[in-house]
Amino acid sequence: MNGRNDENLKELFEKFLDAEQAQKYVEDVQKAEQILRENPAPEPDDMLIANIKAEIAMRLPARKTYVFKHIAYKVVSIAAAVVFLTAIGLRLFEKDDSKPSPVQRASIIPTAIWESDDITTDDADLAIFTIEIEQIEDEMMVLQFGEDDTNGDSSVSELEMELIEINNSDFWKG
Amino acid sequence: MAKSDELAQIIIGCKNGDSNCFSQVVDMYASRCYGYFYRLTSNNDLSDELLSELFVKLVEKIASYKGGSFDGWIFKIASNIFHDYLRTKQRRKKLLDVQKKQLELEITEPKKSDNEQIDKLQIQLTRLDTDTRELIMLRFYSELGFKEIAAMRSEPIGTTLAKLHRGLKKLRELMR
Repeated sequence: MNGRNDENLKELFEKFLDAEQAQKYVEDVQKAEQILRENPAPEPDDMLIANIKAEIAMRLPARKTYVFKHIAYKVVSIAAAVVFLTAIGLRLFEKDDSKPSPVQRASIIPTAIWESDDITTDDADLAIFTIEIEQIEDEMMVLQFGEDDTNGDSSVSELEMELIEINNSDFWKG
Repeated sequence: MAKSDELAQIIIGCKNGDSNCFSQVVDMYASRCYGYFYRLTSNNDLSDELLSELFVKLVEKIASYKGGSFDGWIFKIASNIFHDYLRTKQRRKKLLDVQKKQLELEITEPKKSDNEQIDKLQIQLTRLDTDTRELIMLRFYSELGFKEIAAMRSEPIGTTLAKLHRGLKKLRELMR
């Protein structure tokens, strides 16, 4: 802190005036300030000071309540925002989840193909299998977006039949 | 240094809502701030009012004090309160154009209230313009250095020095 007592007034005036003038200005200021010191302003009344202190004491609990309310409102709004964003996040996550991931697709490939050593046959089987899956996916899409012109129930049944057929057939065995 | 450490502790107490610490701040600053208001308004009742307002503001704003000169901070609030008072007067002056002259006198002329003794200095101070008077009082009561005062008033230090010197010189002549 560079208070009044710490500053060098002459040095300050010398930045703008020559040394002689600066000295005169400093004396002017000091003499005038002496007049202010010799004529003190009235002191505040003791009753006024007591009233001010009482008012402060009265206002403090109210201020604390206000601060508490302020913090509480902030916490509640932040919590609401977090819940809202989480809900949105989960929804988006669910949407992304609707498409089968490569891992999921791989997991429905029959174990026999994984365990087989006959690469040529397996490749052909995999190609057929992939086509089957894509066909099912297309049908699912048609069903999902309601683009199927025919009866929806029959399409579902057909799809189920196809899935059962894939499951039961031994086409990958060659 | 010990004084500033003590003050720092008191301010921390104030920030924690300790009414005893606020009372200590009142004891430390009431006299100087009252003198500042009184010399600017020439009115005891009004100075009482402005001083009360200052400490109420202090309670409200203490959380916003982020260090630095506490004297500078508190006198900045005092100065703002005085300027608000002047603006209110101005607004009233516009609304009540008929009473214009009378209100101007209210601002500048000393007004005696109960048992109030107007000293010679107060009479002569009212002959200075409000800005110069405020600058002199800020310098005298806030105990701030010129650099801080100039920063508070958002003006170059040279301007502050020149204004103060001119004002004090005029005051000395008036007091002769």
